[in-house]
Amino acid sequence: MEAIASITPEIIETTPAAPPVAPKLISGSEALMMALVAEGVDTIFGYPGGAIMPVYDALYDFQDRLNHILVRHEQGAAHAAEGYARVTGRAGVCLVTSGPGATNLVTGIADALIDSTPMVCIVGQVAKKLLGTDAFQEADVMGVTMPITKWNYQITDADEVPDVISKAFYIAQSGRPGPVLIDITKSAQLELMTKPFAYERCQSIISYRPRLVPKLEQVEAAARLINSAKRPYVLVGHGVQIAKAEAELLTFVEKTGIPVATTLLGQSTISTAHPLYVGWLGMHGNYGANVMTDQADVVIAIGMRFDDRVTGDASKFIKQAKVVHIEIDPSEIDKIIRADAPVVGDAKEALNALLSLVNPNDHTVWRNEFRKYDVVEHETITQPVLNTAEGKIRMGEVVNMLSEKTNGESILVTDVGQHQMMASRYYQFRRPNSLVTSGGMGTMGFALPAAFGAQVGAPDRQVVAIIGDGCFQMTLQELGTIVQNKQPVKAIILNNNFLGMVRQWQQLFHQRRYSFVELQNPDFITIAKGFGMDGMTCDQRENLSDALDTMLNHDGPFLLEVIVEKEENVFPMVPAGTSVSQIRLK
Amino acid sequence: MTTYTICIFTENTIGLLNRITIIFTRRRINIESLTVSETERKGVSRFTIVIKHESREEVEKLVRQIRKIVEVMAVFGYLNDEIVYNEIALFKVSTPLGSKPLDVETINKKYKAWVVYWGLDYVVIEKTGNDTEIFDFFAYIKQYDILEFVRSGRVAVGKTEKGLVEYLPEMEWAYYL
Repeated sequence: MEAIASITPEIIETTPAAPPVAPKLISGSEALMMALVAEGVDTIFGYPGGAIMPVYDALYDFQDRLNHILVRHEQGAAHAAEGYARVTGRAGVCLVTSGPGATNLVTGIADALIDSTPMVCIVGQVAKKLLGTDAFQEADVMGVTMPITKWNYQITDADEVPDVISKAFYIAQSGRPGPVLIDITKSAQLELMTKPFAYERCQSIISYRPRLVPKLEQVEAAARLINSAKRPYVLVGHGVQIAKAEAELLTFVEKTGIPVATTLLGQSTISTAHPLYVGWLGMHGNYGANVMTDQADVVIAIGMRFDDRVTGDASKFIKQAKVVHIEIDPSEIDKIIRADAPVVGDAKEALNALLSLVNPNDHTVWRNEFRKYDVVEHETITQPVLNTAEGKIRMGEVVNMLSEKTNGESILVTDVGQHQMMASRYYQFRRPNSLVTSGGMGTMGFALPAAFGAQVGAPDRQVVAIIGDGCFQMTLQELGTIVQNKQPVKAIILNNNFLGMVRQWQQLFHQRRYSFVELQNPDFITIAKGFGMDGMTCDQRENLSDALDTMLNHDGPFLLEVIVEKEENVFPMVPAGTSVSQIRLK
Repeated sequence: MTTYTICIFTENTIGLLNRITIIFTRRRINIESLTVSETERKGVSRFTIVIKHESREEVEKLVRQIRKIVEVMAVFGYLNDEIVYNEIALFKVSTPLGSKPLDVETINKKYKAWVVYWGLDYVVIEKTGNDTEIFDFFAYIKQYDILEFVRSGRVAVGKTEKGLVEYLPEMEWAYYL
């Protein structure tokens, strides 16, 4: 043993140094895969095609690290990525081919932009030398998506891949989140990088610096207004959940005793059972929540953008109030409603900063003023819907029963229209981050793929999609994706054989001239079964409870079709372009 | 209608002009003139865009929307009295044999314009100045036969002492030196 020990150093010294190994150079496609892995991506929603095939070829070797989900239509990929992003807070990733593959993403990209959803879309493009020649499946995707992305970039050189991908994720996920599109030429996918692959996560961009921590003087001005208020009112938008500031919001309102309303996308930020929660704002929101905006002396708007569905006639909205506007996107300040005390920053940071500066308060008398409107709304709208004994099932009944059976703890995904408003009105949210809906864009066909994406992103939660019969037919092919990936999504079609919201407007504002809103529907359950998904139809009130139990207890995905009252209207309603004080109860 | 000059400092990347003009088009704001060039900093482009608008508030919103573009470093909206600005115009004037001779002295001394090229039967006169000065000269020179007239967009610098540097920390700005 001793001898060996003594000679070992000599052996090491005399062994010639290993010849330098040239670093292995990889292709743009492989670099893309490595970059996605380095970025922590676990799921890709995609659809292959000609101009993205080198990337799909590289993906073949990365299947153990990147879960690729084959959708049935690129729009499905976009909405699934949105659903995934909304429940995880991380960018949803889409991978599609050039031309039609990319243009089919457009609706989802526009939807993600207006609802501040982080998304990274990677789309194939024809080879660099074919750019601008009207090559097969060439479309000017950069031009098409420029107005609907937070950022887009065309990669024409494999060396650009790591830096551009890291920038893409940074931009999509930071500040006010949004969709980013990366157009990558087939030549850049195929060619080898000229330098070894190295990936560094982007931390900052010189020309793009979202302010997270608000300026102290802005916070102090806001606190002064809040402390002086007699009738303060907090309006919560999507920004609070994006900032994961639900707990900070709760601490803030509990200390100050200020009543809270949410926007459509702000719902579930605070439990509907919380004594400070007074309802949601908007065209079909709660009676008190809407009309009391006229009574507040200080409005504290957090992470919201005063959409016209919230303000009605914006020139008449909260004119009597001083406005504190907490918002991460400076371009939203004064865009619709002038802010007396703007606070530019992340909702979490801003609420934390405000907390020590605001005085404890109660505001019981002011808060109680909301209750009389609740009584009116309950008696004239809610009660009649929930206690109907005859006639067809009402949409509200279904959602209310679902809410009870799931204890308000499901992730609710809705499409767009009457059923969306009913779902928002009757589901009693108990957990944050529980409503995924298309708010700003109002994209029909959103729910089924978004519910799938949400289920992939939140495997431990029950995901229920509420869908109209019109909406369902826009993206029903994604039943195939749900079945193939064995995701236990529950989908409820509230079937009234109408494009219900358009019909409601035609009834109320166009003298019942029902212009092209009645549908001849297919047998939805046969379709579901054709895709290998179980389902059933319920058209009797006495069977509704059992039907919902069957759906919720079913192992795997399930489609429940509920035949509902054909001509039910959603109320309250602030007719478009009128002020919130003109809200209609019938 | 008030004239606003919007100066935009950006990274020099392909397609950025499109991204910027989309913001104007979407709000139906007509661009009166547009000039782009690289600045004293390598890789930094400067857009000078002139618009007319009746609402200062809307122009401020426009400026904030432009600032939102990822590659945009800074945006300034100026009124005319806050900038030094100029344009350049070229006049190609016909001077065939036997025609009325040009009054070069008036052109030089009164209008501060210069003949920069002599062709066989025409000359090219260059005139710099603001739009009023250029159109004054236009009114004078049109007694001759104007074959071609072209006017550039506005270029402008702000009257504040410091330039863009005060809006970006020196350390980061050094990246472009």
